[in-house]
Amino acid sequence: MNKEQTIEELKNIVKPYIQNQEAFDVLTEDTDFINDLKINSANLVDVILDIEEKYDIVIDNEAMERMVNVKAAMSIIEAKLSEKN
Amino acid sequence: MIGNDIVDLALARKESNWKRNRFLDKIFTKNEQQIILNDVNPEIMVWNLWSRKEAAYKIYNRETGIRGFFPLQLECSFENVTMGTVYIKKKIYFTQSKIKNDSIYTISVVEKEYFKKIIRIDTAEEILKKNGIPFIIDFETKTDKPVSITHHGRFWKGITLMD
Repeated sequence: MNKEQTIEELKNIVKPYIQNQEAFDVLTEDTDFINDLKINSANLVDVILDIEEKYDIVIDNEAMERMVNVKAAMSIIEAKLSEKN
Repeated sequence: MIGNDIVDLALARKESNWKRNRFLDKIFTKNEQQIILNDVNPEIMVWNLWSRKEAAYKIYNRETGIRGFFPLQLECSFENVTMGTVYIKKKIYFTQSKIKNDSIYTISVVEKEYFKKIIRIDTAEEILKKNGIPFIIDFETKTDKPVSITHHGRFWKGITLMD
């Protein structure tokens, strides 16, 4: 899986929910969904559901717990995709 | 320890679709979903229980330093529209919720007596942050006083505890 490509895909997923455009414009692996992008925590559920739909994976509760930044989201996507294959 | 959370219902309606497939499953336990779906106004109950979880999470996060997204672990026990408790691991937090002016506002505390000691702070107060946790400096004693702040849409609420 290509890292840059995943970051781009994630950017598209979170875009509708962000409330801080500057942080979004300079998004990196270390960007925090809540502290940096100011995504409302109820919308974090939508981000998770959107990721599940896009990659056709199931994000279990244990994985969901860690879903607070770009890096965690990427590693969860990667792990769930490799479980699938 | 205290926590608070406000939901602007008009904004919530715009931002979230609680009827979205699997939305409820991700954040509410089976029991909580029963309470929601059996209510005459499920939408209001979604945000009522959600604000309880959020307010309780703020205390839990401060007490344990644990940060994450685990709404299912914060389980609401529903007494009535106003009162309730939220359990997580072996901890219990008490909650008091108010529905008014198109908003739902919840305050959570570790001891029930603290409900009587809640004081509101206003936006004029200088709010500082230590490790991400907001506090104010008490005017008289010059000591740090932890506060809890919540903001959503048209609403802003800040609280602290009386000494």
